Amino acid sequence: MKSLPNRLTQWLDARVRGSIVTRTTLAILVPAVILGLTFASIVSVSVERSEQQRAEIRLQQLLSTVERTAQIACYLKDGKLADEIAHGLISNRSVSGVTITSGTATLSHMDNPVIHGAERASLVIERPINSPFDPHDVVGKISLLVDHAAIHAEAASDSRASTLALCLEVGLVAAAVAIAVYLFSTRPIKAVSNELHRIRFETGARLNVPARNRLDEIGTLVTDVNALIASREDVLTTERQLRMEHEVGERKLRLIFEKSESGLFVLDDRGIVESWNPAFVRLLRLSPAHLPQSGTTSLQQLLPSYATHLGQLIRQCVTTGQSYDLDLELSIQGSTRPAWIGVALNPIGPTTLQGVVNDITERKQSELSAKELANLATQDTLTGLLNRLGLNKGLSAAFSREAAPELAILQIDLDFFKEVNDAYGHQSGDRVLGHVARILERNARRGDLIARPGGDEFVIALVGIADPFKAEQIAKTIIAEIQEPIDLGADSVRIGASIGIAFVLPEGDSPEAVQHRADAAMYCAKRAGRGQVRLMQASAPPRTGAAA
Amino acid sequence: MSAVSSPSQRRIVRQLLFALVMLPLMSAVRAQTIVVIVNPTIGVQHLSRREVTDIFLGRYRSFPSGASALPIDLDVSSAVRRQFYLLLAHKDSGDMGSYWARLTFSGRISPPFAVADARMAIDIVANNPNAIAYVDRAAVDERVRIALEVTP
Repeated sequence: MKSLPNRLTQWLDARVRGSIVTRTTLAILVPAVILGLTFASIVSVSVERSEQQRAEIRLQQLLSTVERTAQIACYLKDGKLADEIAHGLISNRSVSGVTITSGTATLSHMDNPVIHGAERASLVIERPINSPFDPHDVVGKISLLVDHAAIHAEAASDSRASTLALCLEVGLVAAAVAIAVYLFSTRPIKAVSNELHRIRFETGARLNVPARNRLDEIGTLVTDVNALIASREDVLTTERQLRMEHEVGERKLRLIFEKSESGLFVLDDRGIVESWNPAFVRLLRLSPAHLPQSGTTSLQQLLPSYATHLGQLIRQCVTTGQSYDLDLELSIQGSTRPAWIGVALNPIGPTTLQGVVNDITERKQSELSAKELANLATQDTLTGLLNRLGLNKGLSAAFSREAAPELAILQIDLDFFKEVNDAYGHQSGDRVLGHVARILERNARRGDLIARPGGDEFVIALVGIADPFKAEQIAKTIIAEIQEPIDLGADSVRIGASIGIAFVLPEGDSPEAVQHRADAAMYCAKRAGRGQVRLMQASAPPRTGAAA
Repeated sequence: MSAVSSPSQRRIVRQLLFALVMLPLMSAVRAQTIVVIVNPTIGVQHLSRREVTDIFLGRYRSFPSGASALPIDLDVSSAVRRQFYLLLAHKDSGDMGSYWARLTFSGRISPPFAVADARMAIDIVANNPNAIAYVDRAAVDERVRIALEVTP
């Protein structure tokens, strides 16, 4: 019982689902047969009904033709005449029996000898017979037993013929459809499919478009398949090329990685080193005993003296997603010269950093020597303050940033320095100059320019001060501090200072002009008797200030 | 239209034509009254139209009393005979002819015996107790009894 449905399914798969022809034919045939049968049954019912009606009408007409004679026979109760009538009626093949009665008497009764059929008769047609001389006087009755089977057979033969014609038509249509489907659809599809099985890719081979299907759906399908093959081949070719290019590129990158002068490495977000190149080991001066272990050693462990700083940098790099770099000084055993490396960290993933290490020792050294040289040129070596060149450069820079920078220039000249220098010698003089320089540095702010242009002459450029009173306060503080005794070891000396102040004119000025006015104010102060402060405001004569 | 060719219509047409031809004679015909006569000895007082029809058209050849009846016809050419059947059975002489012709082959019934005129018919009825005939009332004498007056 179980294998029957399976076998049916297999058969269906093989014969029906596997064949368009069978499926299409069945799809047409089955509804056609169902429709045909429905139609035939409707037809047979209606044919039978109409046949029955026709038969009844026919028999009524038959009765009408014999009616007059029957009237006479019944009127006269003439059995012979009645027999004659009955005989005529029974010769009709759908009549199985005739009975002619007059009152209670049966004038004639006949059965059809062929049909034998009172028992087969299912329809009785009766007609009352009137007197031939009095239409209101009923004198008899004719009963016809109708052979229903005969009518039925006639109807059946009629409907059989139409059913047969219908079946024939359906069969022919189905056959025509099957042939058409096979010729126009299945055969060309099968041919294309066979061709497609044999085709080899990347040989330039294409399917042939069947000549007869060039313009229809199959032609379009074949053209589309060809286009697909072509695009597939293009993709394959491109992919192969890309793969080759990729391999070459990878080899190139590997070579660059291995042979690079720069140290290259990859870190995770905790600083654990995952991979590195030989240059990395070389630049970090790692001994063979301290080579990193991939996945366990951190950059912080490799550079222990910068561990905290590197840890911060790695975190910053991960959180901001920006690149950071850092210059590190490495102390090398057995060498007095420090080595410098530049470490750059670039985030390349959410938890991955790529790093570059470069030897920047030479750059660092050249930077340092350049700085030294620059300082020599602008610095007073004795006091560490700016020299004249340094002062001029600083003022020029201020004037180049703004046409009229807010500046107060304090021109300071020491009193009694020559005497100290003569009495205690150059070295003591130098110590006094250094002491004054420290006082000036204390009273100036960051950003102010402090210089010793020469001898015992000092200049302070106070940045951002335009208030004469404030400048004067500062000057007075400086004078007071300079007037304190100066310890020279065995002895202590006292000196003084005179200060001239000038401001940069807002309407336009130059470093030379403002320095000149400060100088003039200082001479004014000196003439006024040392330990004095004089202000030069604009081009007006210097105002006298109170001595400390 | 085949209406004119249907038998009943043809008959009507024929009757109309007949009436037209007979119109001048009508007053004379109408004046005469046809009566059915029987022999007084048979004991029949009165017969109905139907009883008369059944006897003359061969249905029964007996009186209601059971005595056999012998119908006597007038000659085929007689106007009274024509009038009699027309009134009694609504049949003209042609119809009557075909009626009897139908029955001749069965042989059981034959048409009534026909006599030349009313006198002969009355004589037969007067002399034969079973005879029955129809005549113009004017011709009737005391030897016979009138059983029915045939009126339109």
